[in-house]
Amino acid sequence: MRERLFPGDRLAAYVVLGALGLVTVLPLLYMIVLALQSDAEVQSGDPVLWPAELQWSNFTRLFEAAPFGRFFVNSFVMAGAITVAHLIFDPLVGYVFAKMDFPGKRIAFVAVLSTLMVPFFVRMLPIYAIFANLGWIDSYQGLIVPFLMDAYGIFLMRQFIKPLPDELIEAARVDGAGEFRIYLRVILPQCKPAMAVLGLFTFVFQWNEFLWPLIATSRTEMRTLPIGLTLFNQEYFTQWNLTAAGALLLFVPTALFFVITQKFLVEGIALSGLK
Amino acid sequence: MIRRRQAATAWLFLTPAVLFFTLLFFLPIGNQLLTGLYDADGVSFVGLGNFSRALSDPEVVHSFLITLLYAAGTLIVGTAVGLGLAVILNQALPGRTLFRSLLLIPYLTSVSIVGLLWRNILDPQVGILNRLLESLGLPGQTWLSTHPLATIVGITVWSGAGYTMVLFLAGLQGIPGLYYEAARIDGAGPWRRFFAITLPLLAPTTLFVSIIGLISTLQQFALPYIVTGGGPGNATSLYAHRLFIVAFNDNDFGYASALSVLLLIVVLVLSLAQLRIGDRANA
Repeated sequence: MRERLFPGDRLAAYVVLGALGLVTVLPLLYMIVLALQSDAEVQSGDPVLWPAELQWSNFTRLFEAAPFGRFFVNSFVMAGAITVAHLIFDPLVGYVFAKMDFPGKRIAFVAVLSTLMVPFFVRMLPIYAIFANLGWIDSYQGLIVPFLMDAYGIFLMRQFIKPLPDELIEAARVDGAGEFRIYLRVILPQCKPAMAVLGLFTFVFQWNEFLWPLIATSRTEMRTLPIGLTLFNQEYFTQWNLTAAGALLLFVPTALFFVITQKFLVEGIALSGLK
Repeated sequence: MIRRRQAATAWLFLTPAVLFFTLLFFLPIGNQLLTGLYDADGVSFVGLGNFSRALSDPEVVHSFLITLLYAAGTLIVGTAVGLGLAVILNQALPGRTLFRSLLLIPYLTSVSIVGLLWRNILDPQVGILNRLLESLGLPGQTWLSTHPLATIVGITVWSGAGYTMVLFLAGLQGIPGLYYEAARIDGAGPWRRFFAITLPLLAPTTLFVSIIGLISTLQQFALPYIVTGGGPGNATSLYAHRLFIVAFNDNDFGYASALSVLLLIVVLVLSLAQLRIGDRANA
């Protein structure tokens, strides 16, 4: 049952939604306008809503001004590898907690869940110190390893696997299938929808990750896109057109994610309770 | 026999997780608790010295106080906006799925984009917002120099409102429509229904939203780092930013560890409070 605020409330609702929708979307659209302006236009002190001539060349100038191609690749490697790791580990651990009985299970599960409460700042400094000793600063493994799996993903997969019928597992066991084979052939194929949600969300959140890549890299060639863009802006702070072009590059996965997940986006976020 | 084999298999499957969480969560946390007891050189033992130093360090106390202000502002405004959006979008409106998703875009957008974009829009020289205000006959503002913290609150609300809305929408699903029917028959108007039914029955959701909001605002680092660099002066140097400076500008890892342990304690207390509230709500 949908509660209606008051009779004839539709108009008022659309006015409020329209206004807030514009406040949400206009700044992002302005980013596109900004990216297509000439240097003179962005520096004029008289902001324009439509550039006199669309400067598509800003997108090529961007790659000449700083190694944005490299930033993009670094971000892709980091977010991609972490996503793959989550898709390997989160369902496996989730399956153990959902379907297996063993001594120590309760403690192990509580231990995993307790990591949800730990601010990243608390493990950041020691991990940084260890990685510095290992020579992992400015390396892909340094960017990736702290995020190989997490309690959100494990919990999500456990919740998804728990209601699956035990009979499937029993039947496979009677047929003499090994435990790992059961997981791989019986459980995993049923998890595809949950894994799709997990994979998409993991990729976008890791693609946007800011704090750790800022600390774990110092050489320009190893910066990820969010960091590279921020530092580029600090150095070329009058070149707002190029910064906006870089921001659009950074926005590409978010836009794709949005198009793919549009139908289940709201449910997906409510379900996973992601950060 | 089978049970023992299954136990062995279970722990075998858990091996990567045991290694990961031990090496990258529990050992580092233990290490933080110890490092916090040492001086910047990592050799001289200072006991709880770093903790008492934090409590009398004007920079740290300042950063903690403005973080509380930032958290309070973000929670109050963000909750009001998110709740309002959820109530509106909980109605049977054509196009509501589209609106719900559109309002979520800033939440899924990189903080670098959010921060840099708003820095440009708010810039007194080249920004478009003041030009817009002037064309409406309103005075332009020097947002980030005159009201830096309030501006950061505004940007945070802009990027997080959609997420708050989703949490409230989930809460609204749990209120039986029957209550509204009954209230309507008794002649209660829309505002009366909102304050007598919606708001009290959403109390657990509101509390949940407030606590997770508090936990995340207390750790806010990237947005002020990108938009103001903590300035002007130290007006937006939030607790996490101060911690970052102590660790990576002053290279005082002992002191920074103590600061991170204090953060851990506050977040743990809030998380446990949230768990207890959740238990009571479910019981």
